[in-house]
Amino acid sequence: MNRESRVWVMHVDMDAFFASVEQRDNPEFLHRPVIVGALPGGRGVVATCSYEARAFGIRSAMPISEAWRRCPGAIYLRPDMPRYVEASRKIMQLLQSISPVVEPVSIDEAYLDASGLERLNGEPESIASLTRQKIREAVGLGCSVGIGPNRLIAKLASEYRKPNGQTVVRHEEVQAFLDPMPVSNLRGVGKQTDKIVQKLGIQTIHQLRQYPLEILSAHFGRKGGRHLYDQARGVASSRVGGTQGRKSISKETTFKRDVTCRRQLREKLRQLSAEVGRSARHKSLKGRVVNLKIRIEGFETHTRQCRLPRAVNADGEIFGHAWKLYEQSGLAGRSVRLIGVGISDFGSEEPMPDLFESSREREEKLYSTMDEITDKYGINVLSRGIRR
Amino acid sequence: MKIVTKREALLDPLQRIAGVVERRQTLPILSNILINVKSNEIQITATDLEVELRTQAVAECSGEGDFTVPARKILDICKALPEGADIILEVDGDKAKIRSGRSRFSLGILPAQDYPVIEPTASSSVFTLKEAELKQLIEKTQFAMAQQDVRYYLNGMLLEIKDGDVRTVATDGHRLALSECNKSVDSDLDVQLILPRKAVLELGRLLKDSEDEIKLELSANYIRILMDGAVFTSKLIDGRFPDYQRVMPSGTNKELRADKALLKQSLSRASILSNEKYRGIRFSANNNTLQLQAHNPEQEEAEEELEVDYTGDEIKIGFNVGYFIDVLSAIKEDEIIVELKDSNSSALIYGKDNSRNRYVVMPMRI
Repeated sequence: MNRESRVWVMHVDMDAFFASVEQRDNPEFLHRPVIVGALPGGRGVVATCSYEARAFGIRSAMPISEAWRRCPGAIYLRPDMPRYVEASRKIMQLLQSISPVVEPVSIDEAYLDASGLERLNGEPESIASLTRQKIREAVGLGCSVGIGPNRLIAKLASEYRKPNGQTVVRHEEVQAFLDPMPVSNLRGVGKQTDKIVQKLGIQTIHQLRQYPLEILSAHFGRKGGRHLYDQARGVASSRVGGTQGRKSISKETTFKRDVTCRRQLREKLRQLSAEVGRSARHKSLKGRVVNLKIRIEGFETHTRQCRLPRAVNADGEIFGHAWKLYEQSGLAGRSVRLIGVGISDFGSEEPMPDLFESSREREEKLYSTMDEITDKYGINVLSRGIRR
Repeated sequence: MKIVTKREALLDPLQRIAGVVERRQTLPILSNILINVKSNEIQITATDLEVELRTQAVAECSGEGDFTVPARKILDICKALPEGADIILEVDGDKAKIRSGRSRFSLGILPAQDYPVIEPTASSSVFTLKEAELKQLIEKTQFAMAQQDVRYYLNGMLLEIKDGDVRTVATDGHRLALSECNKSVDSDLDVQLILPRKAVLELGRLLKDSEDEIKLELSANYIRILMDGAVFTSKLIDGRFPDYQRVMPSGTNKELRADKALLKQSLSRASILSNEKYRGIRFSANNNTLQLQAHNPEQEEAEEELEVDYTGDEIKIGFNVGYFIDVLSAIKEDEIIVELKDSNSSALIYGKDNSRNRYVVMPMRI
């Protein structure tokens, strides 16, 4: 057998994770549409739904009211995170026994470096089936596995046959695998990019591949164009694990009723900023980018971000920038359904001291003391005074 | 109501005030300019609620009536008309009709009474200053202002008047620029005020290198500057500027003299391979030689060496190359002097024989 050493990336994606856990723990839910997320009558969204629910056209992130309209007879559940986290922990632990390099990307998804496992486990196909079998034995849940020469192909391969499927795409099969797919399968193709893609009359990746780099860059920007160009040729990173850690910290809230009142939005944003700040300080992270997310009436979602000259994690600073983003967003006055704030681009500690350092040091000490009190006595026991 | 004028008469004032109008507006009327009709001129006002600029244009006017028109559009129309074109502007209902040669434009207008004009309270003090001097004071320091810092008082420039001296200071916490004019105000005023960033940038653009005296009026929250053909008003930042005297380096014991142009070129070259985020460059000075070293996370390196006047003890110190180049760009003299103490203390930089403009740059840990 040809045992040439090749780079293999494996993507493991749990099938309808939250819903599957519920079906496993409540056998009466088996073979019935199960929707985990907000409760009907509320204003949240679907987190996950079982495949039986997907038959009704229900999808993740769909407003719960829409799900209700499509399938009032489904079982509606609030997420029970501790149980899901426990299952996830077991799965990730198990994956470690398959490959030493595991990169969890979310609670129900991970990339593994599957290179050089052939001697141990045979062809990629056997590695994939072994993984699926082990997960089923350990936690009683189904997953889909994709194996390919890089992250992009592995991910697309795991989506290829779902649920309970596995797909291996060899290097020489990549182009044939990609070509018939719709462009929207590629990474970074959201609503905006898709609009342009539609306008150009591009449907499949094969068609996209006919466009030279210059034309794509003209339509999608230098970075965006390059990204599409590479992806259409199956070119992507095959790095797994390594430095990738947490990329952002964010908090968001969906209001019970749409909010237009500036004061109320300001208060909520201040509160969310404090949560983000505290969470960041706990992990000793500072972000150089502040993000604002707003969903307005009509379920239109907007994001704004600003890059700062200096990494921050103080509540007041996060809030200050977030509020500014809101005021400059052009959305002020619109009724808001959801608002969220986050920080990202965590860099190493600033190597540049400050001329007026003493004031900043005082501020940091103040926050760490406040965090200690909050950790001990709970949120809302202590907060900074606000001059209104 | 009818306004008859020339393209050139209108274009210059429109270009002067266009910078004040923000592109992104919360209030629709803020993207407009206010036109007040006088008998043989029109007054044009632009504002963003923080900064207001009023100027005028020569025109023959008949009838009464003030109105507001979209700033960007009327400016673009004037720009696009041929040189020397006559312009006739008439208000008709909720439209302003512009005619010039065989071109016709109909622009939407908004009522003048809705236009937010700044009315400062009576000025508490008035003084005059040479226009060129104020321009200098701004040009030499504005680059060091902070941008979107939460320490909002740093997002502007300190203007200090004391014992007849005028001083401007700008800092973002990592570097500081100071410029002063001695005995240039004939007044016993003693004030410190902070002009917002945008006002500083606009003023810098507006002021001319002229020996004319301009009048500055200060009131509780505003500064108003009356110059040739324009009235500039800005809100002041309500805050306390940090004690800049405290951070001016003292006790420096090493002095490095270098040719500004050569140093700047070397820095620009070395900066190519510095860390894109932090832009650190290591300076090593010893025995009349300055060595510059940069490297980036990709392990690429740059090294530059140049001759300087330096006889002090060997020193190695890191700086953000961007900050250093900013300072060199602001200095006019050909030779610069860098005063240093040790690798943890900030540097004092100025042009030879010119300590009117002084710059402080913090070192980096590299």
